[in-house]
Amino acid sequence: MEIKKLDTLPEKIIIPLRQHRGAVCEPLVKKGDRVLIGQKIGESAEYQSSAVHSSVCGEVIAIEEAAHPDGNKVMSVIIQPEDSNESVAFSACKDVKPDQLAKFIKESGIVEHYGIPTHTVLRPKGKKIDTVLINATSSEWIGGTFKTPGDYASQMLDALKLLMKAAGAKKGAIVLRTDDKESIDAFEGIEVNKKKLKVAPLIGSRNVGYYFNEQNSDIVIVSQERIFGKKILNFFTYRVTGRKVKIGCDPTDVGVAVCGIKSAKALYDAVQTGVPFYDTVVSVEGVSNKMEYILVRIGTPFKDVIDSYGYTGAIGKIIANGVRTGVAQYTDQVPVTKGTTRITIQKPEEVIRDEAIECIHCARCVDVCPVELIPSRLAVMADQGRFDESRQIHVENCIECGDCAAVCPSKIPILQLIRYAKDAIEMAYEDLPEKESSNLKVGCGCGGE
Amino acid sequence: MTYTISAPPHKKTKLDFKTLNFSKIIALLPLCLAAIYFFGIPALGIIVASVVTAVVTEFAIQTIFKQKITIGDGHAAMLGLMLALLIPPEAPIWIPIFAAFFAITIGKHVFGGIGSYIFNPVLVAWIFTRSAWASYMTPASIPHIGQFSDLILEHGAGLMVGVSPILLIGGVYLIYKRYIDWRVPLAFFATMIILPQTLLFVSGVMALVHEGSLNPLMYMSQMFALLSPSPELSYSMIGIVFFGILFLATDTATSPVTKKGRIVYGITCGLLVFIYGYFANYVDGLIYGIFLANCVASFIEMNTMPASFGTMSCAEKAYRRVMDKIPSSLKFEVVNNE
Repeated sequence: MEIKKLDTLPEKIIIPLRQHRGAVCEPLVKKGDRVLIGQKIGESAEYQSSAVHSSVCGEVIAIEEAAHPDGNKVMSVIIQPEDSNESVAFSACKDVKPDQLAKFIKESGIVEHYGIPTHTVLRPKGKKIDTVLINATSSEWIGGTFKTPGDYASQMLDALKLLMKAAGAKKGAIVLRTDDKESIDAFEGIEVNKKKLKVAPLIGSRNVGYYFNEQNSDIVIVSQERIFGKKILNFFTYRVTGRKVKIGCDPTDVGVAVCGIKSAKALYDAVQTGVPFYDTVVSVEGVSNKMEYILVRIGTPFKDVIDSYGYTGAIGKIIANGVRTGVAQYTDQVPVTKGTTRITIQKPEEVIRDEAIECIHCARCVDVCPVELIPSRLAVMADQGRFDESRQIHVENCIECGDCAAVCPSKIPILQLIRYAKDAIEMAYEDLPEKESSNLKVGCGCGGE
Repeated sequence: MTYTISAPPHKKTKLDFKTLNFSKIIALLPLCLAAIYFFGIPALGIIVASVVTAVVTEFAIQTIFKQKITIGDGHAAMLGLMLALLIPPEAPIWIPIFAAFFAITIGKHVFGGIGSYIFNPVLVAWIFTRSAWASYMTPASIPHIGQFSDLILEHGAGLMVGVSPILLIGGVYLIYKRYIDWRVPLAFFATMIILPQTLLFVSGVMALVHEGSLNPLMYMSQMFALLSPSPELSYSMIGIVFFGILFLATDTATSPVTKKGRIVYGITCGLLVFIYGYFANYVDGLIYGIFLANCVASFIEMNTMPASFGTMSCAEKAYRRVMDKIPSSLKFEVVNNE
């Protein structure tokens, strides 16, 4: 598939100073300053933070609160772009020590699509990473960041090696999707350390540990079925490595770092050419069968992206990051951020306006739940405020994939009710670890894809 | 321009409660037509009376108690139709009218409406009318299967539902479309097949014990009894049993929601129906059996709640306990990290 480049400059570029979870960056520019492409405009001394760069050349017209795809308002730098390709001098960063590489990742502003800065994933404080996974199960690679599948495979391997180096990990794996034939073909027979690798399926108890032994290699490529979800990481880690992550912990607690394709590619580019993370590929879909991949500069308003998609009719709903777990936007003047992977448009008549009726106990939600919960029961308990009882039937295990709400014939907002219960429980118990926010408040706007 | 904001997911299945009900009604239509063909106008009268009464009763109740009118979802009509099929065509017309009224008021709305009732309203109404007016509710004959042709058209049978088991094929299509769950019917049907055969085997062995036979080969030969159809087996092929398996036992509100629980519920249904049918007759046995299974459905559900994701089941724990004791040099397993 081909990638389209968004050539026309938008009227203004809105660059949020927080495109990840963690500290908001301090602006480094003032109103009226002229910025260049790739110039650092925001930075924070906090470890849980990542630098922000300008994606265009132009004049800063304001620094104010602006809409963010996660639904909140965030302090943003608004730039009036000018038609110029002037950029700061980029310098490649090859052959560096792991510590410097981690710092370089922070400087380049590389952030995971689920909202955590990559360097904190690779080098979490007080924890040791021994395995790095690249999650390619939502594979949007063919979206054009790469020219050919072979390109994709070799760059991903190089990126994986860089990630392992930065994390100080010995082992690494790339996880593909079983139905993604094109990627599997690309990776089939690829050479690592002069050894040919095969794409190995994850079946039953054959997890990556088994394939590290079997293929006698520190790097393996495995494939698994697609899973959706907002809190997918723990589940993903369990499926791939067989390590159980406790509720409230994240994969780094068991020594696993999970990275996305986008950040891996951004790291590869940054190391090869020195270009920081300032442009990204988003896919636009909805209204018709065609799906387009567009390379946009970070900060471009959704409106311009939709215009270049070529749809001019009435729009009922704009969703950032997919129909399953994405966030509906109230304005089309929200910018594309590092976490945006997909923009979905719905026509007014496509917008669902169902009214919920009583649960009919059809058990469809039970059949689709990937983590063996009883969503219908959880929804009833959340509705009645019986949070303790919902905790007894493991409400925390929910990965918020939304399958239950999507298949419900009674149209009950099960996902929302479960989130409500989870939030209430997390607020009530102080012994529980720090809250990971739901997408309507602060936090990530990623869809896990 | 204004945009809609709502919580995810932004796309849901088109399937709703209305579709589920109307597809069940459509699946029952061939059977209704066959019943009208064999029993004539009285059968049509009973179907119409039952369906109309059910719908009118639901409308009246929801109007009186100022609830939202939900006759459009077809649930009342479906209950009325199912009830009509369980009434003998010779019954006077006020029997279906009263039964449908009873099903909707006491069976459904007293318990709290859709999804809240604990007993299938059809069964509640049937059992009440059967107990109150047993003479009217007794069919003229009870199905007996002699030849294979009776499986296709069993027109001598008493209830409307008994005219043709093969016309209930619509229910199988509903399972294929996943409108009704496959676990309950499968477990129910398997139990109905296995139990008579097991009984045949056990009775054969008991007879040998009684005779004082000591030859082990004689006992072994009883294994072949499992292959020859027992006389009770044909009763699991009559129309009402198919109807119970496909439409009554799968009623969503009265069956457990857990995966394991649905299989246990199916087995419970099969067991109770077999016991009732063996000692009485299968027509009454089916309805009393499923009714009793409804009583324990909630109990089954509470006791089959799945454990937290990733925890080991009992079998796995036992396997681990054994495997951990075997020295690693003897193992064929290669699954270990590092």
